[in-house]
Amino acid sequence: MNGVIAGISYRALLGRRRIWLLVLLPAVLLALAVLLRTVGADGERATVELLKTFAIGIMLPLLGLIAGTGVIAPEIDDGTIVHLLSKPIPRPVIAQTKFLVAASVVAVFAAVPTFLAAYLLVGLESGVAAGFTLGALIGGVAYAALFMLLGVVTRHAVTIGIAYAVIWEGLVGNLVPGARRFSVQQWAQTVADQISTSSFLTTEIGLGFAATALAVVTAGGVVWAGQRLRSFSLTGDE
Amino acid sequence: MSDRSPVPNAPEGGSPPAGPSAPGLPPGPAAPVGVIHDIGYRHYDGARLGRGHATAALTVHSLRGIFGLGRPARAKIIPFGLFGIMMLPAVVSIAIMALAQQRGMAYPGYAVALQPIIAIFLASQSPYAVAPDLRFRVLPLYLSRPVTLWDYVGAKLAAMTAALFLLLAVPLTVLFVGELLIDMPGAPLTSDYLASMAGAVAYAVLLAALGVAIASFTPRRGLGVASIIALYLLSSGVSTVLAAVMESVNDYTAAGWAWLVNPFFLVDAAVQVGIFGTEPAAPGAYPGGIGVAAAIAAVLGLTVLSVAALIMRYRKAASR
Repeated sequence: MNGVIAGISYRALLGRRRIWLLVLLPAVLLALAVLLRTVGADGERATVELLKTFAIGIMLPLLGLIAGTGVIAPEIDDGTIVHLLSKPIPRPVIAQTKFLVAASVVAVFAAVPTFLAAYLLVGLESGVAAGFTLGALIGGVAYAALFMLLGVVTRHAVTIGIAYAVIWEGLVGNLVPGARRFSVQQWAQTVADQISTSSFLTTEIGLGFAATALAVVTAGGVVWAGQRLRSFSLTGDE
Repeated sequence: MSDRSPVPNAPEGGSPPAGPSAPGLPPGPAAPVGVIHDIGYRHYDGARLGRGHATAALTVHSLRGIFGLGRPARAKIIPFGLFGIMMLPAVVSIAIMALAQQRGMAYPGYAVALQPIIAIFLASQSPYAVAPDLRFRVLPLYLSRPVTLWDYVGAKLAAMTAALFLLLAVPLTVLFVGELLIDMPGAPLTSDYLASMAGAVAYAVLLAALGVAIASFTPRRGLGVASIIALYLLSSGVSTVLAAVMESVNDYTAAGWAWLVNPFFLVDAAVQVGIFGTEPAAPGAYPGGIGVAAAIAAVLGLTVLSVAALIMRYRKAASR
């Protein structure tokens, strides 16, 4: 953890136009929650459906993508990463710091609005709010690590990231049950299911597998990104 | 060349006029002598093709770039991979028609069924079309030629529109040709095919305008990709949630309107269902009557707004 790098990364993430996207996604979730409450469709089932499809299914991967790639990909794109890499700071520390920044941003912009939306609709009933908050937190952290790694590995990180989130997790995951085992969203839902006692939330993956997978993806992403930065070569733009 | 230079072997500039000459060099003249070498520059006196050709060349160049042609192999993977996925349902449908004599994918539902792929194509390729020029501030170079701002924006929009149209029209046409060749029982669904081709034009125009406009607001490619896909996912997510909520309180008219939040259903409702009368591709019915007029107005309005935003953005970019 390096304070200066963290400060620079926070500024890059929150100080530019990126912040509007980061704010827009939770704002839409909260607006939908308010709307559901207004029309009187604020039952537990509608809440679980909203959190599952919108909070975990759409907001979480997008926030993870924007924060995870946003902490490192623009610097690589500009070439300014060489200034950072030429300093006597261990490269894994750079990766860890950037991951912590991305993870904290996802935690604030994903987990907090998820809790608020759930609380607005069903209060603390049957642990839905707590479950989805923890799911969003852990899933968001895993997404941040995964997409930060992508940002270090390839220039097309954002496109590959959305292809994973939309095609693999969305399209293929809906059709092929086996694909769901390798989906961060499904792991996050499994975590949510453990805490919530709601009968409307059912998951097929065991907690053991989901927890292990989340830990492996998160730790593996950060470590690999650090290793990759150690032998990083800056290539030209296409 | 040296025989034409007036002072052979003279040191080119550099040597101080009154200073002592460097050892080993022949004593040069007192004042530096400028030499213009004839490097064989030829004046261009071919035909000047003018503004229209420049715009056309820019359009073709952008269109090739969107598909990664003329760029390294890595840039071709994503557009052609997505194009391949777009072709899959057509190929599978032809196989089903040939083997089981049953229809697979319906023509008007093609774009709606594959909307995530089209959205990813739009998101990943439209920043390519506009972001580098903005980032490296080369717009004044384009505008110092006969190309005007409208030509530049028009060329980029035309390229993206053509790319999206190809992405949709090629699978649809392959599917239709397959149907004709297999000779299915009953008349071929020519009207459905034509309606879906008209739909493809509308999809291409609306999505290209939206995508290029959003992409032009950031010189960063990654952020442009993320913005476009975020807006697509938001609109589709909001429309699904709203429609489900409205149906759960038995308000089916409102649910019909909720589908129109998604741009893919909007074009389907406006062009394919509204004008050509095909079956709606959304899980529910669209609002009829005033709904069709509203959908058509929304498609046109969104397109005009996006183009206006683009022009405003480029006026600002060109003045820097």
